[in-house]
Amino acid sequence: MRVDRRTFLGGAAAAALGGAGIYELVDRLTPAPRRRATAALPREQHVFDLSSVQSEGVEVLVPPLHSEIVTATVKTTDLRAAQHDLERVLVDLDAQYAPDPSGLGVTLGWGLPYFDERDERLAAAASTHLPVDTRAGKPVLLPSRRFPSDPHDTVLERNDVAVLLRSDAREHIDAARKAIFDGLDVFEVTSIRRGFAGGGFDGKASLPKRMAMAAGIPGADLIPDTSELFLGFTSTQKAGLGPRLIANHETLGFVDLRGGYFRGGTHMHLSHISEDLEAWYLNFDFDERVLTSFRTGLTNVKQGAQTVPQRPEDVSTRKQLQEGFAKTGRFGHSASIQQTSRLADDVTGPDGTVYAKGTAIPQRADFNTLDNPFAFSSQPERDKLSDEPQAGVHFVVFNPSGDDFERNRLAMDGVLPDGTKLDVGARSRAQGFNSVLTTTHRQNFLVPPRRHRSFPLAEL
Amino acid sequence: MRALIVAAAAGLALVAAAPATPAAKAACPAVWLAGWQALANKVQAPVYCPRWMPNPLDAKIGGQYIDINSVNKDRSYLISFLEHGDAGSGDVHVNFRGYPGRTTIPKCTTVIPNGKKTIRGVTPCFADPIGVRTAPGIRATAYRVNQDADQWHILLAWKHNGSLYTVSEHVIKPYDSATKVLGNLTRLLHGLVLVQPQG
Repeated sequence: MRVDRRTFLGGAAAAALGGAGIYELVDRLTPAPRRRATAALPREQHVFDLSSVQSEGVEVLVPPLHSEIVTATVKTTDLRAAQHDLERVLVDLDAQYAPDPSGLGVTLGWGLPYFDERDERLAAAASTHLPVDTRAGKPVLLPSRRFPSDPHDTVLERNDVAVLLRSDAREHIDAARKAIFDGLDVFEVTSIRRGFAGGGFDGKASLPKRMAMAAGIPGADLIPDTSELFLGFTSTQKAGLGPRLIANHETLGFVDLRGGYFRGGTHMHLSHISEDLEAWYLNFDFDERVLTSFRTGLTNVKQGAQTVPQRPEDVSTRKQLQEGFAKTGRFGHSASIQQTSRLADDVTGPDGTVYAKGTAIPQRADFNTLDNPFAFSSQPERDKLSDEPQAGVHFVVFNPSGDDFERNRLAMDGVLPDGTKLDVGARSRAQGFNSVLTTTHRQNFLVPPRRHRSFPLAEL
Repeated sequence: MRALIVAAAAGLALVAAAPATPAAKAACPAVWLAGWQALANKVQAPVYCPRWMPNPLDAKIGGQYIDINSVNKDRSYLISFLEHGDAGSGDVHVNFRGYPGRTTIPKCTTVIPNGKKTIRGVTPCFADPIGVRTAPGIRATAYRVNQDADQWHILLAWKHNGSLYTVSEHVIKPYDSATKVLGNLTRLLHGLVLVQPQG
């Protein structure tokens, strides 16, 4: 499948609010993966069970082909009525689609402006019920912030709500968006963000490769043919993602749920990151891409490998990280992040599940995009909206708290929780990812449990 | 205006980028020969003269597009041709290298600025092979991660009679993908002719 640039741009422009433009290609390029049916709706909104396959001897989860995020502000003042109406729509969607990628995943996260600024009574309820991270001594939901490697103009967004829609079927996502945002008169849409992931596990060209080629992205022809994501490495290996309930506020024991209203909830960080594929593939040879993505001294990776094991036993120790940095002046992405994203000790969750030392905590739901930076924005000038397709990632990650996310993101920049700083320049090639990634937007959200997903606290 | 002409001509060149058929008696173009002959004489080794260059470049050493003409003490050389387009129209940049008497890939120094510290290292000058391109008498390996004057270039490297030769081109508009550049380099490879040293 090849789309000329003119066709593509025409499609993208037409796609702003209605159809899916270039993303409709996903369905023509890749058949939906086989999925195991999921019977029951989980208590958690963010839990979305994925099937797995073997990739280069490593178990990897197969992400949904399509993902979309719609952000909005709340325009209604009758929050109780809105709560009722939205929940009715969501229940209908739950009834219509299986709660797995063959059907539809709907996850609603609510931003600080919703809790703080929409309604006095709501703000009072929020001050009583919003969870607190006792390890950090901070609320679980933090204002968005920039990190050391972020550009000075990274937009810190202030949306009331973000709705994450996930499915192998584009039409399921379209139906959900229409039901929530067109069928109800309670939201003002501020952005639509679309993308894709996966394909390639069957040995055929992956979606990121084919989509980037179709869009004429610079460097597209350099992406490995079967790569799950633009940057060439498999990122959904099971051992690298937090297990089912670990990102719940309550699981690891450092969040005070106060009255318990948000038990089964989690924290979601959403950002958009543009990726310079040409710089990544023309300036970093394979060994340096491995070093940058994983750790210094990782020399036994077969040339061209895409799935590099990230089991608990592969986790870099602090000693390895610091010795590698002292020796080379550089550090890898996984090695630094794992200092905070992996459990330092065994932890037993409230349901008796034992999470072993080295287990991953964050549950990522990121996906590649050709949005620049969004498919639609209500503030096109602020967001620097462009029809020119661009390689990027809509980064979505669930952590027990905002501080837990921040620890990981700071570690990516070489800033560790105990104050240790691996001194690299903000966008230095010494931490290579940061030299090819540019974060354009950020915001934090609270994801309530399913029972309180619709206008949380409005009923109190 | 010149940028427009370059861009338009480049478009034509891309359309016409089928590999050239080697002529029965292929020779270095007469208007370019003097420079390549002088180079061969200086390094006392055969050098490869192109019979085709991506538009708008020519391969006249000493001509309007010559950017670098450098011969080292070890007789290795770098001949670089560059057209720097106006108003963001891009560059067309082709480098020829030769390493007489050696076939190993040379090492390049890397310098990573990092605040007050500078990280220095050594790395192969050509890395990340992405395939092979052949032409009569040449079997070249294509590399996509290259250093120094070949950074951001796709590069072909091959051995001949105990020496290593390379040609590379910058991936930038108007030749803004590795695929387009590799097409140019493949066509260029088919047009190469050896110029023997004299005297």
